[in-house]
Formats: sequence, structure tokens, C-alpha cells
Amino acid sequence: MQQSGVIRDYALFGATAQMRYTEPVATLDAGVLVAVKSGNRLDPLREIYDFCAVRGYRAAGEAIQVGAWPAQFIPAFNPLTVEAMEEAVPADFDGVPLRVVRADHLAVIALSVGRAKDWARILALLESGSVSRTAIAELAARHGLADAWHRFENRFLND
Amino acid sequence: MTDSEAMLRRQAQWQKDRRSLSWPEKIRMAEQVRESAERLRDRPGPARTLPPSGPARRPYLATGRCPEF
Repeated sequence: MQQSGVIRDYALFGATAQMRYTEPVATLDAGVLVAVKSGNRLDPLREIYDFCAVRGYRAAGEAIQVGAWPAQFIPAFNPLTVEAMEEAVPADFDGVPLRVVRADHLAVIALSVGRAKDWARILALLESGSVSRTAIAELAARHGLADAWHRFENRFLND
Repeated sequence: MTDSEAMLRRQAQWQKDRRSLSWPEKIRMAEQVRESAERLRDRPGPARTLPPSGPARRPYLATGRCPEF
């Protein structure tokens, strides 16, 4: 898709990316951050859906079924997700090269979303040792989330 | 330590040990969990028991007056 010019960049994020760093977690789909060429159009994902459709990958709700997984493509929508995608690390999945969002970006994206499962994701990443509180604090501050991080620390990490 | 505490500790350790699995192995494990969840979701649920209706069991329907609680 990248070679065909449909997307400029991509990185796996969400729970499937989290599992690279933590123990397995339950999830229903695979999230993929993408930078699309037609980012300003009203329907930025159209070319991705068309690209997949001609190759036999059918749409399933908000996602596209790829093998066993519904893949949900999400355009990088703010400076944090753009940076997460651009600084993603290469990974190998059974011989298939993939780009995966770093643990610190996963934690701060979770912080910005703020659902219960996002709190659990941050705690799991910290517990796995794949990211430190300092790294999250620095990245959160850089993206205007310092207050959110302080609240999280007070609620879940400080005695 | 009680038996229950020991069991919980062993379970927590077992869960933490799964962290050392390879990424593809963890994804496959999540895939199995997802398939199980979908099968459970597709199963018909238990029959719902509706509260009794009619004036015999709910006299306020006949009188038009709300019961006092």
C-alpha cells in the first residue's frame, strides 16, 4: 500500500502494538495509524478501502478484514499520533516486516484517550518495564498532557 | 500464606511469564481469545423472565393509584 502510493506512512498501534511489549491482552481489532496522501479530503480512507477491495479484502464495519483480524485504519490526527507513526520501530511478524508504535508513544496516546482500558494499558506498559514514568512524563509534557499525567500518577501510582 | 493466596500468586506469575512469549505468539493467543468471545457473543442468551403483569399481581393497574412505598 505504501509502495503503491496509497499511504505515505503507517504504524501499528493500540492493543496489537501493546502486545509487543506486554503480556497478551484481549482485543477485537488491529489499529493502524496511517498518513494518507489525500489527507484533506472528506473521505480520507477511500483510497485505502478501494485498494483493499480490488485485492479481495472486504470491509467489516469500520474495519477491513485482513486474515483473522479486522484492521482499523486511522489517519494520524494530531502531532502526537503523527510523531508516534513517524518514530515507530521496525518489527518482524513471522517474517513480515511491520512498523510498530513505540511503548512511550503508546502510553501517551492512551493517556490522551483516557478510557479505563487506556489506564490499564499504561499500567501494563509500566509493569513490563518497556517504558519509564520519566519517559512518559517528558513525552506527555511535550504534547500538552502534563496535567493528565500528574492526575494519572496521583490516581494510580502515588501512594 | 494461604492456599488461595499461593494460587493467586502462581496465577499472576503465569500471566507475567506470558510476557516473554514472542510477539506473534501473543497475537495468536489474543486471536484465540477474540474468537472465543465472538462465539460467546453469538450464542442466544438465557430466556428473560418478565415481571408478572395484569391486575391480579399489580392491583394499582386496576385502581389507577400508584402503590405507596
